[in-house]
Amino acid sequence: MDHQRTNWRGYVFIAPATIYLTVFAFVPMLLAAWMSLHRWHLLKAEHPFVGFANYVALAQDPFFRNTIANTVLYAAFAVPLGVITSLAVALLVTRQLRGVGIFRTLYYIPAVSSQVALSMVWIWILLPGEQGLVNFCLDRLNAWLGTGIPTDTNFLGRPGWAMAALVAMSLWVGLGPRMVIFLAGLHAIPEPLYEAAALDGCNARQRFWYITLPQLAPTTLFVIVTTTIASFQLFTPVYMMTKGGPRRTTDVVLYHIFNEAWQKFEVGMASAQSYVLFAIILLAATFQLWIMRRGLREETLQ
Amino acid sequence: MRVFVVATLLSAVVLLAILSRAVVGRAAGSARIVLRVSNWGSPAVESGFMTLEREIREEFEQMHPGVRVQFEQIPGFGQYAPKLLMMHVSGSVPDVIALDASSAAVFIDNGVVRDLAPLVAEDPEFRLADYFERVVQIFRRDQRVYSIPLDFTPMMMYYNRRLFDAAGVPYPQRGWTWDEFLHAAQRLTIPADQPGAPPRQYGMYFMNVMPFWVPWLWTNGGDVLDPTGHQATGNFDGPRSVAAMQFLTDLMLTHHVAPTIDEGKAAGVDLFRSGRAAMDVKGHWMMIDYQAEGLDFGVVDLPTNTGQPTTVIYASGLSIMTKSPHADLAWEYIKYMTSREVQVRRVSSGLAISGNRQAAAHYAGTPVEDAFIAAVEYARAPWGATVERYPVVEALGEEMMEDLLRSRAALGVQTELHRAAQLIDAALAEP
Repeated sequence: MDHQRTNWRGYVFIAPATIYLTVFAFVPMLLAAWMSLHRWHLLKAEHPFVGFANYVALAQDPFFRNTIANTVLYAAFAVPLGVITSLAVALLVTRQLRGVGIFRTLYYIPAVSSQVALSMVWIWILLPGEQGLVNFCLDRLNAWLGTGIPTDTNFLGRPGWAMAALVAMSLWVGLGPRMVIFLAGLHAIPEPLYEAAALDGCNARQRFWYITLPQLAPTTLFVIVTTTIASFQLFTPVYMMTKGGPRRTTDVVLYHIFNEAWQKFEVGMASAQSYVLFAIILLAATFQLWIMRRGLREETLQ
Repeated sequence: MRVFVVATLLSAVVLLAILSRAVVGRAAGSARIVLRVSNWGSPAVESGFMTLEREIREEFEQMHPGVRVQFEQIPGFGQYAPKLLMMHVSGSVPDVIALDASSAAVFIDNGVVRDLAPLVAEDPEFRLADYFERVVQIFRRDQRVYSIPLDFTPMMMYYNRRLFDAAGVPYPQRGWTWDEFLHAAQRLTIPADQPGAPPRQYGMYFMNVMPFWVPWLWTNGGDVLDPTGHQATGNFDGPRSVAAMQFLTDLMLTHHVAPTIDEGKAAGVDLFRSGRAAMDVKGHWMMIDYQAEGLDFGVVDLPTNTGQPTTVIYASGLSIMTKSPHADLAWEYIKYMTSREVQVRRVSSGLAISGNRQAAAHYAGTPVEDAFIAAVEYARAPWGATVERYPVVEALGEEMMEDLLRSRAALGVQTELHRAAQLIDAALAEP
């Protein structure tokens, strides 16, 4: 490179994205940080500066601690189960079978559908008694096998079951995008590795454990991190299906923030809660990256 | 290449300018004034009442040439107040809104709705005395008036006369006590044929909706908050409130004359409306459904232990948003909507009792209607009319009731109420 020249066309090209991010991401983030240091009620004229009082109050607030516990519980199930199911489905649809494209499309449909519409469908699936699909199937199962499984369980109205229902729904909704990423990862694995393994007499399970899984490690890391972030941002199904109930067992952080800001209008407190959530997600993602990087390095050293 | 980029950018700018001019020009070119009117409800529900209301609005348009009334319904009652308050913050507001008594405080105390007293004083045609004084009181702060009553309903005890006749129980009378109520409820409960199954018929229907059950505290001399509306401890967990909650939960858990939470949810229908429960505490609006079902019902004051009848009154009025640019026209609309002639037509549906005395009198004369109208003289405003954070109180109250109904034995009514009262105090005390 003999001389460096300012290329103004380059700036034109990045201008739209830069303006968009500045207006809708960077400025709001800075503003939220500023607001989180104030007692800021949308309907009140006065916004007194309170320093870190909002954060101190959050540390002592049993309801907010409950939302963090709920969110962590949700992620603890939704992330591993989500990764395992989507990897399994990706392995199934990577085969060259007739009509496999149809399956890939079907698995992807929930990802491009409105979460509100999907939640309405799940409410119907989980209704107690005859009207609910799950309970209806259980009823048929009872009639068929002579078992006595209760068929009037109000899944969304019972502590424990409601959270399980949200996890189940997340597996289904998130399946498509995770599956696609795994598919891309699977196709990127060099074929000669499998050929060499076949020559060495590896069976299918050994090929999976010693070639597919290690080669997929970067993909898996990506899927785990993005699924974790998405899990901490659970909102729509809670808003639509449980409203945080029963007995606050599905009151997750983002839903709590929404209520604080748009039902109680305490945007200062809501901003503080957003920053706590941001810190948690940052910590979780950093920790996962650190663990996986260490694992990868050991792998290469061996 | 460079010429091409510049030309593209230039033409984009010109196109934008033309488009924005077209949009602005169209708005400015119209001489019509648009009066925006909001209330709660779903535009998807088409009913005779909605058709009637549309006709009434169209007549107002005919009386005011150049004015178009734009009706903006906000679905989901829980979202109504937050949505309007956000519109106030953003500055794009409806001109006239229906103000609900149970969420009036947040609108009044934050200057979201206008004081109508000056408009009332200047208007020779309008007399505030034409409206029920106790309903006007709900929307008053000293001399300031923030809403003109549209309609209202006290919460009353409905009873199914056919079920009472079948059980040989005499109809309840004004001034009846809790003991008499429980006695009747027990005689009206028909147990299931097989043990363990829910009763075939309940003495009373119950839903854990605090606006429906709060009068039970009052009829025992208890309350949620102290008279100033600041403190729950010593009130919500006071002996009279504890006794009231004990009585209410006993109805479901001990006497089993009302459905438990799970039984209610599993039934999936309104058990009183479907004739499987003999009594229910509800407002005037349910009458439309009951009549449609062909239910033979009567209405009586709530049973009371204090010797004095009491209940809660839910009301709606019409208010002008502070940021409305058409206050004078909005006032004309409110006067028109709350006038005797329009009100007589509007409440013909049975939705509620008109806030206009003369319109209400038009429908008086039946035992049911007279019982409702008589109750307005002793009924109390809901706490939400004066306590801005009352939605938080209701959320905590319903949570506590749910806990009591699911696991009372573990914690005890007194303990649960005390805990809830402390949480309420903390929520109300936040600066």
